[in-house]
This record gives sequence, structure tokens and C-alpha cells, in this order.
Amino acid sequence: MFFHIVLERNMQLHPRHFGRDMKDKLVSKLMKDVEGTCSGRHGFIVAITGVESIGKGLIRDGTGFVTFPVKYQCVVFRPFKGEILEAVVTMVNKMGFFAEAGPVQIFVSNHLIPDDMEFQTGDMPNYTTSDGSVRIQKESEVRLKIIGTRVDATEIFCIGTIKDDFLGVISDPGSTS
Amino acid sequence: MASIEPFNRLVKLAARAFYDDMTTKGENQTKVGRSDNRGTAVVILDALTRRQWVREEDLAKDLKIHTKQLRRTLRFFEEEKLITRDHRKENSKGAKIYNSAVAAAVDGQRNGREGDDKLKMHTQSYCCLDYSQIYDVVRYRLHRMKKKLKDEMDSKNTVQEYICPSCNKRYTALDALRLISPYDEDFHCESCNGVLVAESDKLAAQEMGDGDDNASRRRHDKLKDMLSKMEEQLKPLTDQLGRVKDLPIPEFGNLQAWEVRANAANRAANGDPNGDSKSLHGFNGTPMPYLGETKVEVAFSGADDKGDVKSVNTSTPMKVLPPWMIREGMNLTKEQRGEAGADPKIDGAAPSASDLLDDKKSAIVNDEEKIFQDEYVKAYYAALLNRQHEQVETVKKEEDFLNTAITNEAYDTSTQRQVGMKFKREDYGSGEDEWEEAPPAGGGSTSEQFKVDLNVEAAASEEEDDEDENDWEDG
Repeated sequence: MFFHIVLERNMQLHPRHFGRDMKDKLVSKLMKDVEGTCSGRHGFIVAITGVESIGKGLIRDGTGFVTFPVKYQCVVFRPFKGEILEAVVTMVNKMGFFAEAGPVQIFVSNHLIPDDMEFQTGDMPNYTTSDGSVRIQKESEVRLKIIGTRVDATEIFCIGTIKDDFLGVISDPGSTS
Repeated sequence: MASIEPFNRLVKLAARAFYDDMTTKGENQTKVGRSDNRGTAVVILDALTRRQWVREEDLAKDLKIHTKQLRRTLRFFEEEKLITRDHRKENSKGAKIYNSAVAAAVDGQRNGREGDDKLKMHTQSYCCLDYSQIYDVVRYRLHRMKKKLKDEMDSKNTVQEYICPSCNKRYTALDALRLISPYDEDFHCESCNGVLVAESDKLAAQEMGDGDDNASRRRHDKLKDMLSKMEEQLKPLTDQLGRVKDLPIPEFGNLQAWEVRANAANRAANGDPNGDSKSLHGFNGTPMPYLGETKVEVAFSGADDKGDVKSVNTSTPMKVLPPWMIREGMNLTKEQRGEAGADPKIDGAAPSASDLLDDKKSAIVNDEEKIFQDEYVKAYYAALLNRQHEQVETVKKEEDFLNTAITNEAYDTSTQRQVGMKFKREDYGSGEDEWEEAPPAGGGSTSEQFKVDLNVEAAASEEEDDEDENDWEDG
């Protein structure tokens, strides 16, 4: 699920950036530092949408670095148990398949894949129904439901299922569905 | 109290459904064959449905199983939250209180009071079904069973687990990212690099190979089968649960509360409707320990009843009266001594009377008991006739005595006898209740005779009672 929230961060700026466009430098550094990171509490920070305020800088003794407290608005993505996501399959093996929904890695184990889909080894390992009409392979897009999340300080990992109504492949490059 | 029958049925059903093949294995009971005690659990639960609070020793005696075995089973049931237990140190007095409570509350239970006399501050354990908890426990159990099966069936909310066959380390699907190896498509153990295998569901099909789709389909069928079977076989139980749902749940309270209540109820039931209550209260001030002995004094209460000129049926008073009995007995003897026809039985009768009472309590009249009672009845009848003759005379004497305030001591011996006489009557009266059920004809006739007797004595005995009370208060 996506959220638009305000976060705060202390930015350290090198003295060489002091000048007319110091503020721009600060914001671009913030984006570089923050976007794409993950915190267990808020989830993945997808994008910074704006800077609310930049506090008074504090010059560090000895280094000359200046610390600015910066409040910024950002979009975060946080997966929840029970949430339905669309994801792209990245890897298929006999234990199940891995998929990515944006920054989040999701594993669907084979017992959470519908019973009528069987694993086919080969050049392109995949799960296929007996009539071949539905196939899950690398690059397939699937809709899945998250049934478990593991949230570490800097990492979020999910397991999902496609064994439920309306879950499964939503567009298969190999076939029209 | 709420009707207990549906709940008892619930307990019985649950016992048969869940505890039928339960065995209690002692730690040292390693030899098989001999120690097959399956079914004991069901028997014990059934027995408990017919009782309220029961001393475990008595229960063991009734069921004819060893106390140790019983305790083990009871402990198990306690853990299962089916029963509540209470342990306390007590001497024979406590036991008596309990016994009287049992007698009051449970018809048809034979209380083994044989053991009473030997008790010296032993720790006694009591147990009792806890109906409200049983109701919840059974429901919860069913819910868990169903949930487990259903979950496994649709593999919902189940996180696949993987196990390393070589080092037995376990992983869940959440660890999957760390387990994939770049070289092949298996999961590898982090510590020993062995190939992990998915742990198959515990419930279904160990015999099926894991990871096989066909197997999972079969497993699904099997689970479905199991679920439907379960629902079908537990239907009676669930039905009973539904039936019981809106009924008020019978509560016995804890042991002490129950004893007090049972005794009180008994007193209320047995006590005289009106007249006695006053005197009862007066004497109830006496410490509770006397309660236990009340039975003996029941005879006295009978005497009181007469005094009140209540209906003959007052036989009930037995339990209520006891407290007074002890004290009053003394007074009465003083006052009444003259009237008593010499009844040698009296003293001996008292203990037997208590037994009688117990017998009465047990609703189920054994044949033996009946015979016993019949004998008593005959004896009472005979005694009664004699008494009636004597009483007319004695009443007059008594009045004289009362008026003249004669010193008590001279009369002591005679008074005891007098008490005995009353005792007999009492027993007789109390016996009547039961007899009315069993042999109706006898009961009716006796009661009438009794009435006559009572009426005759009534005036005199009333006076006596009043005087007695006064004396005691003074003392």
C-alpha cells in the first residue's frame, strides 16, 4: 500500500556546496540518499514529492560539514499481509516462484500455487495448467495475495499466494488471457 | 438450579467423542497388557455428571478404581479444564459438613461416610464438573479442529516450512530469498548447504511424496473426507451444544460456597415452614461445627415440630434442627424427663438415626435400604403406639414439672430416654418421606397416626420449647 507521509532527516552538506544553489544541492542529495531505501517502519521510500522545511544548519566542529534538519514529503510503499498486489515473476523453480512488485520481493511457494498447475522444467521453467492455457514463467505478470511479511530494519520480504479467486496470471506474454 | 440434564448429556457426548481412548500411563507402568485403562475416563466423567462436588476418595470407592488412577485421570481433566478441584486440610468435622452437604444436594448418591471417623486432618481433594468451562472448552476444541482441517485444505494462511534433512534446521518460506542458490533451483541450508525439503503437512499423508502435485490433490481429497467425517460424527455433540446454548449454565460455585448452600437448602427444605425458623435462628448462632452433628439431633427437631402442631409431614426438620438439638436436648431432658417412657434404644438410636438420614438422602433406594427401613418402620410403629399411650400421661406430668421448676439433675436419666423417644419419632417421620414414594400405603397410615400423636403433645411441647430457649439464653 502506498502512503504519502512527511519524514524528517538530518542532512550533512559538504562546505563546498555552500553558495547560491545550496538548497538545490541539499534537495538533490536528499533524493539521492533517501529514495529507494527501505525502513522497516515505513516501508520503501519511493519518491520525494516535496521539501517542507529546512531547519537551521549546524556547523560541525573540525569537519566544516553542516547539518540541516530537513522535513520532506514522500511516497512510501509498505506491503501488508492480506494485501493484493500485482507483480512480475522474476524466477521460477520447483520450490515455487519469485516475483517483484516494485521494490518488494515476493515468494510464492509451490503449495500456494493452484493444484492444477504443474511445474515444467526446461530452458524456461514454468508452471502450467494441464491444458496449457495458463502459464507462469519468468516475466509473467501475476496478481497475488500477500500472506506473510518479514520486515527487517532495512528489508521487507513477502510470501504470497495465487491460490484464491481472481489471483494468478494477468497477462502472459505467451498467450492471451 | 438450572436444569442440568442437557449439560450432563453434553459432558457424556464430549467424553465419548474426545476421551474415549484416553489412557493414563503411569511413569512406572511400562508393562503393557495389564494397564489398559481406556474408557476409565469416560466412566469417571459419567460418574461426575451424577454428582456435584465429590470427595475423590469417595468417588474412587464408588467406581471401584484405585485412588491413584482416579487422581491421574482427574488431573488430566483438570488440565483439560473439564473439572475444578479443591484441596483442603480437614478433620472429621469438615468431612461431616461435606457429607451433610452431599446428602442435601445429591439424591441418589451414596456418600461413603464410613471413613468419617478415622479422618485426622488429612488433605482431602474434591472435584466437580465445571459446566460453563466445559461448554467453552468443547466449543473451542471443535473450532480448532475445524480450523486446522480447513486451513490445511485450502492451504490458506499457511507458511510453508522447509527442513534440512541433515542438520534438522528449519526454515520458513519467509527465508526463501536467502536460501536460493545460484547454481541450481533447490533451497540450500545456510549452515550445511544441504538441500532442503518442504515439510509435508503433518495431518495428511506422510506416505505421499512432497512436492508432487498429484499428491497434493490426493491430500486435499483426504482432508475433505476427514472434515466431512468429523462433522458427521460430531453432529450429536454440536447439536447438543446448540441446544445448551441458551440454557442457563448450572454453577456449583467453589467447594465452600457449595457446601454452605447445599446445607442451607437442605435446611430450608427440611426445616419446618414457620414455627421452627424462629428457634432455628436463635440456635444458628452456634458455631457451624455443630452442623455436622445436626443429623443426630434431627429427632429433636421432630419433637419441635410436634410442638408447633404443624402438619405431620414435618419429618423434614431433621437437618435444620440439629444445632438446637444438642443444646436443647439437655434442657428438654430436664423438663421432660418424667414423660419419657423408658426407651432403651434411644441412645443407640441416635447414631443410627444419622445413618438413616443419609439413606434418605440417597434418592435411589436400594433394596437393602428398603428392607432396612421397613424394619425401622415396624419398630417405630410399635414404639409409637406405646408412646401415644404414655404421652398423654406424660404431657400432663411435664406441665406439672415445668410449673414446679424441679431441679434438673434428678431427671437426667429419664430425660435422655425421653429424647430417645422423640428421636424415634423423628426418624420415623423422616423415613416417611421416602416411604411415601416406595410403599405408599404404609406411609399414609403412619402419618395419620403421627398426626394424632403430635396434636396430643402439641400444647405441652410448645411450652417446653419456649422454656428451653429461655434457659439456654440464660445459660
